[in-house]
Amino acid sequence: MKKVLAFCLAMAMTASMAACSNSTGGSPSSAASAAPQGEQSIYYLNFKPEVASVYEEIAKAYKEETGVTLNVVTAASNTYEQTLKSEIAKTDAPTIFQINGPRGYASWKDYCADLKDTELYKHLTDKSLAVTDGDGVYGIPYVVEGYGIIYNQAIMDKYFKTSGAKAASMAEINSFDKLKAVVEDMTAKKDELGIKGVFSSTSLKPTDNWRWQTHLANVPVYYEFKDNKIDLTSDATKEIKFQYSDNFKNIFDLYLNNSITPKNLLGTKQVTDSMAEFALGQTAMVQNGNWAWSQISGVQGNTVKAEDVKFLPIYTGMPGEENQGLCIGTENFFAINKEAPAEKQKAAEDFLYWLYSSKTGKDFVTNKLNFIAPFDTFTEDEKPTDPLAKEVLNWMSKDGINTVPWNFTVFPSQTFKDDFGAALLQYSQGSKSWVDVKKLVVSEWKSESAQ
Amino acid sequence: MQKTLKKYFAVFALPTVIAFVIAFLVPFFMGVYLSFAKFTTVTNAKWVGTDNYVRAFSDSNFLNALGFTAKFTVVSVIAINVLAFLLALLLTRGIRGTNLFRTAFFMPNLIGGIVLGYIWQLLINGVLLNFGVDITFDASYGFWGLVVLMNWQMIGYMMIIYIAGIQNIPGDVIEAAQIDGATPRQTLLYVTIPLVMPSVTICTFLTLTNSFKLFDQNFALTGGAPARQSAMLALDIFNSFYGRMGYEGVGQAKAVVFFLLVAGIALVQLMLTRSREVEN
Amino acid sequence: MEHSGKRFNTILFVFLLILFFLFLIPILLVLVNSFKGQLFISNAPFALPDATTFSGIDNYVNGVQKIDFFRAFGYSLFITVFSVAAIILFTSMTAWYITRVKSPVTSVLYYLFVFSMVVPFQMVMYTMVKVANVLRLDNPFGIIVIYLGFGAGLSVFMFSGFIKSVPVDIEESSVIDGCSPIQTFFLIVFPILRPTAITVAILNAMWVWNDFLLPYLVIGTKFRTIPIAIQYLQGGYGSRDMGALMAMLVLSIIPIIVFYLTCQKYIIKGVLAGAVKG
Repeated sequence: MKKVLAFCLAMAMTASMAACSNSTGGSPSSAASAAPQGEQSIYYLNFKPEVASVYEEIAKAYKEETGVTLNVVTAASNTYEQTLKSEIAKTDAPTIFQINGPRGYASWKDYCADLKDTELYKHLTDKSLAVTDGDGVYGIPYVVEGYGIIYNQAIMDKYFKTSGAKAASMAEINSFDKLKAVVEDMTAKKDELGIKGVFSSTSLKPTDNWRWQTHLANVPVYYEFKDNKIDLTSDATKEIKFQYSDNFKNIFDLYLNNSITPKNLLGTKQVTDSMAEFALGQTAMVQNGNWAWSQISGVQGNTVKAEDVKFLPIYTGMPGEENQGLCIGTENFFAINKEAPAEKQKAAEDFLYWLYSSKTGKDFVTNKLNFIAPFDTFTEDEKPTDPLAKEVLNWMSKDGINTVPWNFTVFPSQTFKDDFGAALLQYSQGSKSWVDVKKLVVSEWKSESAQ
Repeated sequence: MQKTLKKYFAVFALPTVIAFVIAFLVPFFMGVYLSFAKFTTVTNAKWVGTDNYVRAFSDSNFLNALGFTAKFTVVSVIAINVLAFLLALLLTRGIRGTNLFRTAFFMPNLIGGIVLGYIWQLLINGVLLNFGVDITFDASYGFWGLVVLMNWQMIGYMMIIYIAGIQNIPGDVIEAAQIDGATPRQTLLYVTIPLVMPSVTICTFLTLTNSFKLFDQNFALTGGAPARQSAMLALDIFNSFYGRMGYEGVGQAKAVVFFLLVAGIALVQLMLTRSREVEN
Repeated sequence: MEHSGKRFNTILFVFLLILFFLFLIPILLVLVNSFKGQLFISNAPFALPDATTFSGIDNYVNGVQKIDFFRAFGYSLFITVFSVAAIILFTSMTAWYITRVKSPVTSVLYYLFVFSMVVPFQMVMYTMVKVANVLRLDNPFGIIVIYLGFGAGLSVFMFSGFIKSVPVDIEESSVIDGCSPIQTFFLIVFPILRPTAITVAILNAMWVWNDFLLPYLVIGTKFRTIPIAIQYLQGGYGSRDMGALMAMLVLSIIPIIVFYLTCQKYIIKGVLAGAVKG
């Protein structure tokens, strides 16, 4: 009798343990748990932490309209690849994830479904933006972003009125030489202009140096690829000469020498600091992209008016740069998990199409996510209205202006970028010569590409 | 009683054993196997022999982490134990406020590594700001930052153990030494220190393993910056698994090496304590 | 002689007092900065808040919303309480069984438990996450099983060590009186184990509450405990709300300090016993 009792007790214990482990449905947060039987659910692993809460609203709206559950999980900043790696191996793997271009595709090839026949792809305005391999389409860009030198029109106007100003309006500043003359004259007159420096801090803190080692470096690398007619999807991108390194140095030195912050203090500066300096009117210019609007407008004591915030292309002294525009492109591509069950893949396609074509979805994209969407389902008046996004659209539509694409999606690895950034810091502190920086870029690019 | 009890395996041992098999035994043996395999998701493993180990030992990040960890462990073990012992001496003199001091010095030990890392990041960067750099500027800043952090966290804990050790010394032994004309310094060197040696062993090994296996503090304080130069072994293994495609097997091989090192330290400790027990 | 000794003690007292403040500085610094606007923190961490930099409790409100702090607190509390309870209950029973029943199986088990104590987490990290996922243990309930399994080594070892020193006579007489082993355990043995149970509880509670990597990998994308939530404060494009970070650090330290000040005696005893035996 006792034996039976003991056995029962043991069974009860193990059963309760097993029951605990199976009861995902009863877990405190049902947001992430599996949907009840017979109902569709999509798992989207979101890359952008800054819009995580918007996606939660989108999930709610989608559920109301279609009854399909969208589980949005957001990776912490800088941990997307790592989170994706651990999530994709799980039983409930993400249905929708994102890749950051050809390099990302190379890593996640085994999981990227062909999206050639999806509705969303059919509506992509510029098909060349997609990530392709042979006939297949494996990544669809879902947002277009642009960056350049953001300037404060009010401060510039004040400068143009000073005696001996090197230019009379922004329209005259269309080359590096002109920019340099103006900037240096502004530095000389900074007290008169009421600023502490022309440029915001060149943030070289290791987590915050992507504006230079990635975004700025894109410009000379773009010209190099263009001159040598390099096919971006080929192995020819595995080596560079960094032949326009002097052009990088031109503008980088200009940033450093006319900055609000002395050169040796740049290693602690974050992007947040730079944007705050600009927002508080302490500087006239800062290199960044349209995503920075929320940072500028969100600063306490902000003195910059929305209508004064504008973009200037990054001039580096290349011949013919009068026609150069902003750097516009994307590193955000939707991919759908090939390993997911077919009906989930279908549900994911439907959701993405809904988000970028239905009235509700488009409203979220334009007004909450503030994305410039690269699809023809959006009409002229369905574009974001914040000043920087408007400026990007404005520059895109200018006649005779050549937009610089985002070629940094083929930069070899994060390690390359980190090492390049560290070298830039050492250069700015005077402990590394420019020749050595150039050498490092060339050799690191090669060795990291070989990985 | 043994006979009756024996039949109750299912009640008494089974739940723990099942959990133990799930959370430890199976992952452990799978881990050993996978260190000889190429895989991305565990299920698609392919045997590659010792290839992963060769790659691990030719990985400069791993070798750097090994050196960094060894150096860090030595420095922090010495610093923590010396300081903790001195504090213990001070707090066994019956000075006013001893209880308050003991309470305060011990407290950091209870705070988790991630939180500690961010607390110290603020403080260290604040100090370094005066020199125009921050903790990610150079690996040696990260190194000393971690040493200071570890001291702050562990000193109180070790101090408690030393206090217990000192208080266990019979009062008459000290008195006898004093009557025999020993100076305070002689009493310390020839009476107190030899008698707290068991505590020294315990503390040394506690700080040794804790420093060697450090992860959270390293992750939050520097994250390995600059360029993974300040990454310790545990962080480097984590980076191999989750930071790079195609390095899962290498990460597992590094983990096995890591395990062998930790086990080696434990074995030495066991031998030391055993031999003392025999002596006594 | 006596007099100079007193003076010496006074000097030492002052020295300790200075050290005391040095020890508290990091925490005070975070506390002070948690009341400053986020732009004024990393640029001047040692400056006290003034009229322009003081931001009231904005950082707290902001941070609590951003990382859903109270939910994280709930997960941390739930997982810690139930994991510790499971560990105490099951490992004490197991320890009693394998100490009292001598057989090849129990001695192999004992050595396996002891062995698991020296295995660092990184060794089983990747595979454990996989196993937990396949068995659907990747939720706040399932992770209790993981904690029981991974924490079993130290706890079984500590309970066994104590049980070995308890004479077996009482237990035997209770069995002779007609008690089942289950009754014997809960009525006779477990009360004797109480001091060790407190030690085991404290050691495991400190571990589980502060643990980062295990929950981060097993359940972290969906269920964030406090350390994970704090890690999630890093924003996009390199931005980090330093104000919210400071405020959340303060909020995560408060429960620990409260717990410590109320149970100080047990905690110090517990870690002492844990250190000597572990």
